[in-house]
Amino acid sequence: MSIMLLLRQIRLFSQVELSRLWLTRRGLMTLAATAVVWFFLLRYAIAPASEILQEPNFQKSLTAAFGMLGLHQLLNWPAPELTLYWMLSLVLLPFLSLVFTANQLSSDAARGTLRFISLRSSRTAIVLGRFCGQLVVQLCLILLSLTATLIISAVRQDGLNWQAIEAALLISCHLLIVLMPFTALMTVFSALARSSRLALSLAIVSLGVVFGLLSWLIYHQPDAAFLLEYMPGAQIWQLIPAQGWQSLQLAALPLAQTAVLLLIAQQILSRRAL
Amino acid sequence: MNNPIIKVNQLTKSYGRHKVLNNISFEVNRGETVALIGQNGAGKTTLFSLLCGYIKADSGSMQLLGQQPGSQALFGKVSALPQDAQLDPAFSIGEQLSFYGQLQGLTARAARSETERVLALVDLAAHYQTKAGALSHGMRKRACMAQAFIGSPALILLDEPTAGLDPANALHIRELISDLSQHASFLISSHNIFELERLCNKVLYLQDGQLQQHHAQPSESTVHLSLQLAAGAEAAAVDSSEVCQQLRQLAGVKEVTAGRNHEYQLSYQPQAVDDFDIRLLQCLAANGWQYKQLSKGKSLEQQLFARKKAAIVE
Repeated sequence: MSIMLLLRQIRLFSQVELSRLWLTRRGLMTLAATAVVWFFLLRYAIAPASEILQEPNFQKSLTAAFGMLGLHQLLNWPAPELTLYWMLSLVLLPFLSLVFTANQLSSDAARGTLRFISLRSSRTAIVLGRFCGQLVVQLCLILLSLTATLIISAVRQDGLNWQAIEAALLISCHLLIVLMPFTALMTVFSALARSSRLALSLAIVSLGVVFGLLSWLIYHQPDAAFLLEYMPGAQIWQLIPAQGWQSLQLAALPLAQTAVLLLIAQQILSRRAL
Repeated sequence: MNNPIIKVNQLTKSYGRHKVLNNISFEVNRGETVALIGQNGAGKTTLFSLLCGYIKADSGSMQLLGQQPGSQALFGKVSALPQDAQLDPAFSIGEQLSFYGQLQGLTARAARSETERVLALVDLAAHYQTKAGALSHGMRKRACMAQAFIGSPALILLDEPTAGLDPANALHIRELISDLSQHASFLISSHNIFELERLCNKVLYLQDGQLQQHHAQPSESTVHLSLQLAAGAEAAAVDSSEVCQQLRQLAGVKEVTAGRNHEYQLSYQPQAVDDFDIRLLQCLAANGWQYKQLSKGKSLEQQLFARKKAAIVE
């Protein structure tokens, strides 16, 4: 398949996913759910905790307690709201990503819509297009929640500085990369399953089983601990204290994981009866 | 000169131990409208799915327009109405068909224009903005059919195109297929024999996974006639054996078969008598029998399924 046609079709699939977010009832419900979650997080967690983070005594305690782990670096973000947004997002968004991206292929396959599409597009383009579409949708949700966080910061500080905006851009880049392997994982399971619920269940069970097996293996064979570093999200703990654009060097692992998972999804869909 | 648009050679497909298609081979030439007939479970939908590239064959080969099913070269050239496939209920049918048009390579504007054209073909022009989930079953079916006409496909595969449609819309779809068959080849699967008889000039008959008959309707040295006598008080009194006896006395008659509901199948040698139709009508008039329908040629149903129940004139 020519690369130009592939890119064109990926763009078209992504546009459809964006339309699904902004123009369909289901997409608007997703937006509403995201808004409600972030409202409560911003109102009752981030805003009050930002005040605490600015207290010198708390900062001294944090540095004393977690200085060895580098967590005192968290205090270096240009706004405490961004610090808390960064920590919360790194922990929460991978789980939310599993839920929100579970329906990449399964419903269309069960309904037979993929039969119409596959007469006009390769299965590789379908897999990549749906994956990219989900990434674009998640980027929208990240940018919206980050904008709300910046607004809260601006209100508290009576203004917004360029460092805060730059930090927000860095956070959005990092989060998107963090979410890539999780989204690709759901591409794999939605290519396998006949429904989004089944895809989500399979993903959760599979992750649990793999972590369980790895834990058992590491207990009996401690040298195998390095395997944990290849699991999706393994770089998150290194990312928490990370600062600056150079921290994007941690992106190699999630990008490689994403490529492998998308290859698996493509192979599954290519062999699947539609 | 034959110009095969579909070339299938020794195709086999099994589900588990059940062999759904068993070593079938056939060709469809450009411009032909071909009927695919068979009982439930005969393998019609499996054959469609193989031709569309939805599933893979166990063995054998297939070529559509000289390409493997599912290959990029066929995008926009082969289209299909798969059985039971539905459009996404969250989007309007216009948006979805436009999207399909763009996937085929049309610009956004051309895709919208093409969508309006194909929706008009199936009488859904007013429903461009209607979500697929808000349409009735028949309208959804027509919308699904409209997607098969986007662009200018050379080959259109239709699996049960009129199933679930009301008679008026079924007739409209048949007329549409008839019109479009001037520009594209069709492979149509249906249980409606009369529909296929009107539309198709070639028949593929699948039975138990094998291609039982594969023929164009022949021009034979023997001509067939289907005769139905009028029902009613006077017709009820007619003894079918008497009718058969009278008919077989006509010059050139080879065979007379009585069916149900006062139907008779005749075959005769046209070279033996050149005004057979007139002699037949005279025979009916002389015996006071009124006819309800008289048609030349064997019906497709008769060719494929009819069992001989009446006397055969030697």
